Amino acid sequence: MPEAIRLALAIAAKDIRAELRSRTALVSALVFAALVLVIFNFARDPTALSATDLAPSALWVTFALASMVALNRAFTIERENGALDGLLVAPVSREAIFVGKLLANLAFVGTVELVTLPLFTLFFNVSLWAVLPGVLGVAALATVGFVAVGTIFSAMAVRTRFAELMLPVLLLPFMVPPLLGAVQVTTRLLAGRPLSEMLGWLRLLALYDVVFVTLCTLVFSAVVDE
Amino acid sequence: MPLEPPRNAEYLIAAYVVTTVILLGYWLRLWRKSRKA
Amino acid sequence: MSAPVISLEVARRITHRGLALSAAALLGLALVYVLALGYTPVEARQGLAQKIFYLHVPAAWSALLAFSLVGFASALYLWLHDPRLDRFAAASAEVGVAFSAVMLTTGPIWAKPIWGTWWTWDARLTLTLFLFFLFVGYLVLRAAVQDPSERARFSAVVGILGMLLVPFIHLSVYLFRTLHPQPIVLKPSAPSLPPEMLRTLLISFAVFTLLYVGFVTARYGLALAEEARDAA
Repeated sequence: MPEAIRLALAIAAKDIRAELRSRTALVSALVFAALVLVIFNFARDPTALSATDLAPSALWVTFALASMVALNRAFTIERENGALDGLLVAPVSREAIFVGKLLANLAFVGTVELVTLPLFTLFFNVSLWAVLPGVLGVAALATVGFVAVGTIFSAMAVRTRFAELMLPVLLLPFMVPPLLGAVQVTTRLLAGRPLSEMLGWLRLLALYDVVFVTLCTLVFSAVVDE
Repeated sequence: MPLEPPRNAEYLIAAYVVTTVILLGYWLRLWRKSRKA
Repeated sequence: MSAPVISLEVARRITHRGLALSAAALLGLALVYVLALGYTPVEARQGLAQKIFYLHVPAAWSALLAFSLVGFASALYLWLHDPRLDRFAAASAEVGVAFSAVMLTTGPIWAKPIWGTWWTWDARLTLTLFLFFLFVGYLVLRAAVQDPSERARFSAVVGILGMLLVPFIHLSVYLFRTLHPQPIVLKPSAPSLPPEMLRTLLISFAVFTLLYVGFVTARYGLALAEEARDAA
């Protein structure tokens, strides 16, 4: 088992190194996230809706769209030069490959979220300091689940026609529970509500993570193996 | 509660027409494909 | 696994049987129309629009039946790798989309005069809408993959994940909704349904189930014929 974890970490490290070397995908995902935040602010009628009311939804829609851009890239790199085939003939369990890809994607999406957060406080005039640990916690809880599903779908999408369109069509329905939960918890955090009011949502998010990370790890071999 | 039931026959007709169009349309699609097969 | 030789003749026979069965079911549907419009009493509070219920509820039943069977067939496919399961899942998903189209159009047409609005974000409505999207996505994916074995494996994965997504969407919409006032629902309460209404509804359920079986059989036969032609 530790061997599998070591291999998964090695795969994740390889992906992260490759990403850091070019940085094109990371930079474009970040610019994209910033643009979505700006558009959200302009698409709002300031007399009807205050920025704080819109803030949690804007934050999470931005995270969701930026994750989509990030995930689209995840397996495209592998397809070029047949890198995935090389990985598949190596004596590495499919579960370890999946966990490695998942960790790399989480690092990628997590970075985008971390950089977007200060921009968000700036554009929406929300002070996050007091609730920062809570916001980071719920972001992590919500992100793990849909990135797991997104990792498996992006592995499929690259082998289809219209790959860039396929991923959002498949993944968006799966983003509904995490997104809804994250928006609700963020709204309550910003309003300073007690933890007991968020517990139901937090449980839902945790359950989603457990179910989909497990399931995706198990079915990954069906996606990559003939 | 009104004694006279509300008049809304147009909704009834619309729903029955839509159902017929979808189900009959799907059947015709399958039938056309089977001609080609 | 070497693909067994598929006879075009067998495929055609299955298709024709399915078409005949669904044609019979469509005649049954005409009978349901006659019963619903002529035999059942007019409901006092909802008026004639209540009669939409005889189509909407059985269509929803067929759609949910179709989608749950896609989930089960997908799970079994990943285990047994039987191409028949994949063909069945594809047929059931397509037929399910047709039935949910009926469900999603007749629903708002009924809701407008009764609830006063075409759509509400009520838990059940939202769930069925996302199921519809999920299976449209499933069909789009099938259309975008060329290799048959790859297509079968990919769609089985989406089928299984989709089946597990359903309780989560239901739970989250439920949690979301509990904070908001519920729309005033004038539900035709099932236990006090007059016998004419109940009988018509049961006949309609039977007709829609038959229609599902007929459509799936025809669609299955068509897929088989296509494979036979590709193999030849």
